Amino acid sequence: MAEADLRKPLPAITNEAKPFWDAAAQNKLIMQRCADCAAWVWTPRPLCNECGSAHVEWTPMSGKGNVYSFTVIRQVVGRAASKAFEPDVPYVVAWIDLEEGPRMISNVVSCPVEDVKLGMKVSVVFEQQSPEIWLPKFRPTAS
Amino acid sequence: MGLQGKAAIVGIGETPTDRLGSKAGEPRKSSAEYISWAMRLALEDTGLSLKDFQGQGLGVTVPTAYPQPFWPEEVAEILGITPGLLQGGATGGAGAVSLLGGMAAAINSGLIDLALVCGSAAPFSEHWGGGIQPGDMRDWEIPYGTMGPNSKIAMVMRRYMHEYGATLDHFGKIAVAGRYHASLNPLAYLRKPITVEDYKNSRLVADPVRLLDCVMPANGGRAYILASPERAKTLRKKPIYLKGFGERSNPSYGPRAGSDALVMGVKDAGKVAMEMAGVKHHEINFLQLYDDYIIVVYLQIEDLGFCAKGDVGFYERTDFTFKGQLPIQTGGGMINVGQPSTAGGTLHIIEAVRQLRGEGSERQVPNAKLGLVSGLGVLPYGKNLGCCAVAVLGNEA
Repeated sequence: MAEADLRKPLPAITNEAKPFWDAAAQNKLIMQRCADCAAWVWTPRPLCNECGSAHVEWTPMSGKGNVYSFTVIRQVVGRAASKAFEPDVPYVVAWIDLEEGPRMISNVVSCPVEDVKLGMKVSVVFEQQSPEIWLPKFRPTAS
Repeated sequence: MGLQGKAAIVGIGETPTDRLGSKAGEPRKSSAEYISWAMRLALEDTGLSLKDFQGQGLGVTVPTAYPQPFWPEEVAEILGITPGLLQGGATGGAGAVSLLGGMAAAINSGLIDLALVCGSAAPFSEHWGGGIQPGDMRDWEIPYGTMGPNSKIAMVMRRYMHEYGATLDHFGKIAVAGRYHASLNPLAYLRKPITVEDYKNSRLVADPVRLLDCVMPANGGRAYILASPERAKTLRKKPIYLKGFGERSNPSYGPRAGSDALVMGVKDAGKVAMEMAGVKHHEINFLQLYDDYIIVVYLQIEDLGFCAKGDVGFYERTDFTFKGQLPIQTGGGMINVGQPSTAGGTLHIIEAVRQLRGEGSERQVPNAKLGLVSGLGVLPYGKNLGCCAVAVLGNEA
């Protein structure tokens, strides 16, 4: 297989998401919040998708949350680009409920896949994927 | 009120499904061949000809594997139709049910009095290269190594089991009922009966999702024909009336940034459809539910209000076979008949029509008068299915 096929797919840095990636590169997790109705807006949007307001503001997050649900990827299937994940198998894909409310898809890292449980407390860590992209991932919160 | 009795299904066409093209050198058919075949079967069923459809409605489900935005127009040319109203069904697997509502509304308005709705896909025999993924999937899922819908449904299923105590025995019962019906359906692809143990022992695909939880992709084509009640009475077969219709796309239960992923949009779509039809749950004789996964069938039964949320006892005491209290998936569903991409969902409408005509042969639901059909499509970021359409069909106006 050509080397290019083994690179992990990266997110596109869209206009609306650029502040998120700029902050992530500083190892900071931020999300949009509506200044009018106080709703969290996630993923990044041009307007508040609860009330339509243009007054959405980037807001620092605690980076803490818990595992709402998860699956363990033991086999890489589908698109060719996915083959890049083969060396990571087995790994956890999870829905993380952040303590402020929004739900993110991410990976639970730095612990054996067998140890991941629903409701488990986790904290954000950043993994660099490219010069611009640091992906927020989550590891168990030290008790 | 609404669309109750304002349009009727007068013809159905379903090709056999196959997986030709999985092996090199196999004979194969194209999407164009499957869709033409499905249309011919539907025309034969009604006694109508191609010329009857000039200036009328044409609805085409938009497949995921053929990234060509003008596919509905291409289909019109393949079939030889110059429609007076051309609509693409772009709600993913919900497309066929969405188009039922859209075309019935157009018929009710007087714009058309006949509509052909069709779809096909040949995922094993045609390869057009990967499509462009929706933005949220591209930017916020795939970089984390998600493996398509299996990963997301696995998270729904695990959370559901955690919150409500449902077990593999409950899900297995749904899988077994569907396969039993498939064993009685000559057009089903998977016809060998299975047991709950077979289900539980099937290979883990995306923990806790197993092989026998998943729909089977297939090549094939499906079509139905809709007519005004006046036109319907002049045709060959007993008209099957649209009694009620409801759709909820992009539903969210709770804040959009973190909604309840265990509730499906059929909760509201179903309520609208049943109120329009003026029917109560006990009057519905069968359910044909969109079935990309077993857990999705399971969740719909409760979100449609046939039992309370999390009432696992209901699944234990209910017979879901065609002879039982609540027959579901009476032809085996897409899981056993096969899913030609977004044309897959058309299957449930076709099977409902067969049952309501009394053409269910060995799997006929006794005295079937009213049936409920659902269509679902798209698994959006952080939520349950994104496009949900429900129709109530009946054999009396």
